Amino acid sequence: MTEQTSSPALPAGFGRAFVLTLREAFVGAADDLGDLDRRAGDGDFGTNVRTAMKHLDANLEADPPTSYREWLTALYMAWLGVGGTSGPLFGMFFRDLAKAGDEAGRSVPTAAQFGDALAAGQATVQRYGEAKIGDKTMIDSLDPAIAALRAALEADAETSAVEALFEAEDAAVAAATATAQTTARRGRASYVGDASRGVIDPGAAAMALVIGSARAGADGSGAVDLSWVA
Amino acid sequence: MRRSIVNDPEDLVPEALEGLVLSHPRLLELEAEHRFITRKEPARDKVGLVSGGGSGHEPLHAGFVGTGMLDVAVAGAVFASPTALQVLAATKAADAGRGVVQIVKNYTGDVLNFRIAGEISGDDAIDTEIVLVDDDIATDSGEDGPGRRGTAATVIVEKVCGAAAEEGAGLADVAAIGRRVATSARTMSLALAAGTHPGDDRPQFDLGDDEIELGVGIHGERAAKRASFTDANGLTDLLLEPLLSELDLSRGDEVLAIVNGLGSTYPLELQLVARALHHRLGDAGIEIGRSLVGPYVTSLDMHGVSITLMPLDDELRRLWDAPVRTPALTW
Repeated sequence: MTEQTSSPALPAGFGRAFVLTLREAFVGAADDLGDLDRRAGDGDFGTNVRTAMKHLDANLEADPPTSYREWLTALYMAWLGVGGTSGPLFGMFFRDLAKAGDEAGRSVPTAAQFGDALAAGQATVQRYGEAKIGDKTMIDSLDPAIAALRAALEADAETSAVEALFEAEDAAVAAATATAQTTARRGRASYVGDASRGVIDPGAAAMALVIGSARAGADGSGAVDLSWVA
Repeated sequence: MRRSIVNDPEDLVPEALEGLVLSHPRLLELEAEHRFITRKEPARDKVGLVSGGGSGHEPLHAGFVGTGMLDVAVAGAVFASPTALQVLAATKAADAGRGVVQIVKNYTGDVLNFRIAGEISGDDAIDTEIVLVDDDIATDSGEDGPGRRGTAATVIVEKVCGAAAEEGAGLADVAAIGRRVATSARTMSLALAAGTHPGDDRPQFDLGDDEIELGVGIHGERAAKRASFTDANGLTDLLLEPLLSELDLSRGDEVLAIVNGLGSTYPLELQLVARALHHRLGDAGIEIGRSLVGPYVTSLDMHGVSITLMPLDDELRRLWDAPVRTPALTW
């Protein structure tokens, strides 16, 4: 565990800002993510993203969240109601992020706690998906993002949560883009073999949008760059 | 051109579940939101049994909900796993305070969603055990892969676990007897023609008039092998040969046999296979002590048959013979 007392705080209302930013990014990128998946997979990922966000809207409406933990719970339950393998894996990933908030729901995690939650989520995804780094899956962009986040926090005690999340986002986007150079070994894209070369992995791209949304939720801009997802 | 009796294909599964429950109002109840079927009168003080998977295999699984078998069956779309959220709700519904055994056919999506549902059920202090059914010897291709598929042996696992749970066995014991069945039962299938997805007008694959698909799965996927079409006795031999080399049966053994129709195989055809099976095993000194002949685990309207064999002992025979009352299996 990273030392938590010295870790910079994420802003109050981070759960809400993170989830709503992510919702907008996913809805905005759904067509492009679906297109990537059609070129190197089974083509259902765009539909799965849209279905998950529809479930999220329903969850937010039915039971409006009031804490970081509740916002992330609405998100993870939305994904668990989606088919394919992306639904359950993203669902379990966000469940680990939800656990970073306390049960009473009064606090948001520190940047270091958020990094630990991302790492727990990665471990869960790997446990269920049996993927290794480099297999062209969602963890290819997650793993370097966590490393960059932790390195930024450890390098300088004055680093803010937003600065560290910017480092994580840059690493995630670079790694997601680089998956175009690899051949899939796990996930549905593995069935098409070399045909997946030249195509960014949609799971890795979506995960980079998650990190970008955390940054944009933390800095209050709500703006995530989607232009590279194609 | 194949036509289907459907309304909107999107509504096929929920409408079919509703039809099943309307037909068995004293036995079953539908939870429409998460698409699972429960017993009308939930059992008390016993280990719960939940199963489920993609639709298109009827009467599996919902047809086996009732006394002596499943408590809950959850349905995905045709040939697609129910979501983790559905399985979670179904698992919770199956719990009567003594834990839940999840009976899962070995397919990547089903295994993933049931495992996840089991893990999250732990938040509510529900203990779960998974029994994985992987009886299809056609997919026994070594260590590095998803492993053998789960097919008709699922019926035996659901029946035997159901009986054990009804007798009051604990969670670990119900799971253990289910795993014993899964370890010892094996299945081999063949198809003369593929099934057709509801709303489609073409079957999932085409076969020549002189060909059969040997080792076919229950999701319309092609088999690794093609063989020449032949008569009922010859087709039975094609299924029996790999089963006998896998099962290590010897003279004097007793087995449970399922001669299973894959969808559009009619009873006369299945009875010819059952006849040939009795004669062949009889010649080898193996007795079919118990059997089922009929469509139990189907693949839409696939024209084909599978044979499942499991060595019987006193415990398995007793649990198989225990009373059962479900839409598809009653004695």
